[in-house]
Amino acid sequence: MPKLSESKIGQKVKVLSVEGPPLVKQRLKEMGITPGVELQIVRVAPLADPVDVVVRGYHLSIRKKEAELIEVEVLS
Amino acid sequence: MKEIKIAVVGNPNTGKSSLINAIAKAKLQVGNWPGVTVEKKEAKLSYKEYTLHFIDLPGAYSLTPYSIDEAIARDFLFLEDYDVILCVVDTTNLERNLYFVVQLMELEKPLVLALNMFDEAKRLGYKVDIPLLEQILEVRAVPTVAVKEQGIEELKEALVEVFEKKLVPKRLPYGEDLENLIEKVVFHLKAFNPDLERISLGVIFKILEGDDELINKLGLKFDKKEIENISSHIKTVHEVGLSDYLLDIRYGLATGVTKKVLQRPEIRRETLTEKIDKIVLNRVLGIPLFLLIMWIAFKIAFDVANPYIDFLDKAINEIFKKWIEAGLSSLGAADWLSSLVLDGIVGGVGTVLSFIPIIGMIMLMITFLEATGYMARAAFLMDRIMRSFGLQGKAFIPLLMGFGCNVPSVYACRTMEQEHERKLTMFVIPFMSCGARLPVYALFVSAFFASYSAEVLLFLYVLGIIVALTIAIILHKTYFKGIGAPFIMELPPYRVPTLKNLAIHTWLKLRHFIIKAGTWILAFNIIVWMALNLPWKPEKPEDSVLGKLGHVISPVFKPLGFGDWASSASLLTGFPAKEVVVSTMAQIYGGGKEEKSEEKSLSFKDDLKDLILTFVEKTKEAGLNLVSSFRVVSISAEVPEEGVGILPELQKRFTPASALSFMVFTLLYFPCMVYAAAVKTEAGTFKFVLQIILVTLTTAWIVSFLVYQFARLIF
Repeated sequence: MPKLSESKIGQKVKVLSVEGPPLVKQRLKEMGITPGVELQIVRVAPLADPVDVVVRGYHLSIRKKEAELIEVEVLS
Repeated sequence: MKEIKIAVVGNPNTGKSSLINAIAKAKLQVGNWPGVTVEKKEAKLSYKEYTLHFIDLPGAYSLTPYSIDEAIARDFLFLEDYDVILCVVDTTNLERNLYFVVQLMELEKPLVLALNMFDEAKRLGYKVDIPLLEQILEVRAVPTVAVKEQGIEELKEALVEVFEKKLVPKRLPYGEDLENLIEKVVFHLKAFNPDLERISLGVIFKILEGDDELINKLGLKFDKKEIENISSHIKTVHEVGLSDYLLDIRYGLATGVTKKVLQRPEIRRETLTEKIDKIVLNRVLGIPLFLLIMWIAFKIAFDVANPYIDFLDKAINEIFKKWIEAGLSSLGAADWLSSLVLDGIVGGVGTVLSFIPIIGMIMLMITFLEATGYMARAAFLMDRIMRSFGLQGKAFIPLLMGFGCNVPSVYACRTMEQEHERKLTMFVIPFMSCGARLPVYALFVSAFFASYSAEVLLFLYVLGIIVALTIAIILHKTYFKGIGAPFIMELPPYRVPTLKNLAIHTWLKLRHFIIKAGTWILAFNIIVWMALNLPWKPEKPEDSVLGKLGHVISPVFKPLGFGDWASSASLLTGFPAKEVVVSTMAQIYGGGKEEKSEEKSLSFKDDLKDLILTFVEKTKEAGLNLVSSFRVVSISAEVPEEGVGILPELQKRFTPASALSFMVFTLLYFPCMVYAAAVKTEAGTFKFVLQIILVTLTTAWIVSFLVYQFARLIF
């Protein structure tokens, strides 16, 4: 299944599931990355990590390592 | 008068601080939460026939804590006694904020929402149906614009209203599965705790989730096995753990409410923040721009602060001291007493005061960068580099500032959420070569490396950075092992901070330094005075406690190339402040020249005039510095005045190799007592300070040893 870390900049995706250690998973979800939500990577930092994600109308920075925990479905 | 105790909560970046400042005005009181250095703000003010007692809790995204701040918020909300919750909500980010509100509603206390940044939401074309929101949640919701102090009176009115009506938020539906579990847990708890009257939904969920840290503090009796049994039902039916499932339900509730009450424009326009970020976070421009911004902030801070440091130095060490001295001699105070008062106490106060301009300016810059939202961008840009060393993006700025002064750097670590991140950063700050070490380098460079001064200085600065990063990696893999925190950070919209808020926050940090660190610095200073002056009036510096200590420890430095007691004693006096190393050397090698005792005139009028003139002059200097800020900076290595005379003496006692080794040791060993006091107050324990002292000393010894042995081969 595709992961958020593999999606391209500007591509709209829908979250299918969030995995990972309980604390990380919990925090990602609490910040709004829950199954069913649509999000989009809008930019990658100059040194290729972290990434800037728009979710629920706001910007969130997560590392690639965390983006690998998010399984997504590509929408566009 | 009835007192209403109000817990003020909210997500970070919602303008909660500004709102509290707007409500409290001058009544704001600041302290710390017990045992930690997280700021605790409180205010009591009268409104109609009530006393409103606001307690500002640290910002939190959730009541399942992830940082110290969130643990404090959770503990207060679950364990303390209060009447009303005031939740500050960022109206432009309603959905995620409502997720937190859903958790607050579970506490079953009267709840008021401050829909803050309401003007910004309007500008974005958001329409919030406030009556509907109030009706769905059974809370009061008041639109506010904290920075413009709008909505404050309405907010107070709403707080009184929910208190008087005992308006408890609506009990939201959590779905059949969870409702069944809730019933079972209530039944179970009632059986184990017969006196139990009322139990909030929040507590039931905490028990189901197994938040042991909190449950222990709650002191409820129950059978853990049984509870686990109950909650395992979710796992069997939904294939996810209970916490996970509950989170999804809560978010579902928040999303549902948002959909009903919020109308967003069809097409999302690019916000100003996003336009700015296109440049500021640009792949090519991002880092150069960041460095430029840092350089400007840094320059402004030091250019403005330095003249005032001179001013304070003059005011305390010349004028104030003179008056105290006169007062003491007119009282006929004993020699030792006036020396203790003048050098031990007044000197200590002087040290504390002389740090005020620089800490104030740096804290102002940091507060500004944080309040505008740029701090999060800086962390975004630098995270990849810092992560290689076990640090996170936000650690870059404190380390960079360390080149100016290590002390404000310690305070700048507050921007990091996780305690271990703060501690790790504080730990390696001392290796960043601060301005106070420069006089020592200058002295030795001009005595031994006059034609290579720039190269030697560069070597020292780079060596400091390399050591800092190496130690960071080692600590990350040992001392802080296994605490790898993910880096999940909101990039808040850019906002223009108000001067008032900047001033309040800078002042709070400054006051913390003066009171907390100041006490320690004064104590250290008196100890150092004793070491230098006891037994009273040592005939030679060698006979003082310090001289004897120098003798005792000097063999340790033999392998580093400088095994005489004098250089050891000088290093010891570097503990209060590293620039003192030079003056101690000057005193010892210079044969302890008699202090010139010029006739000191005591004229209050002249002194006052002098003070004012100096202040004006220094203010002018600060202004000029600012204007000329855009020159290229160069590290100037001027030999301190007092050091000039001892250059030949140094050349006799040191070789180029041992001089280099001495400089390296000065670079790496424990920075100064002001840093120690700052770390003590910020990290909380002396044990931690001692660990830093031990590690820095060991590191300094090893690296100096290596440098000396290598240098001997080359020179």
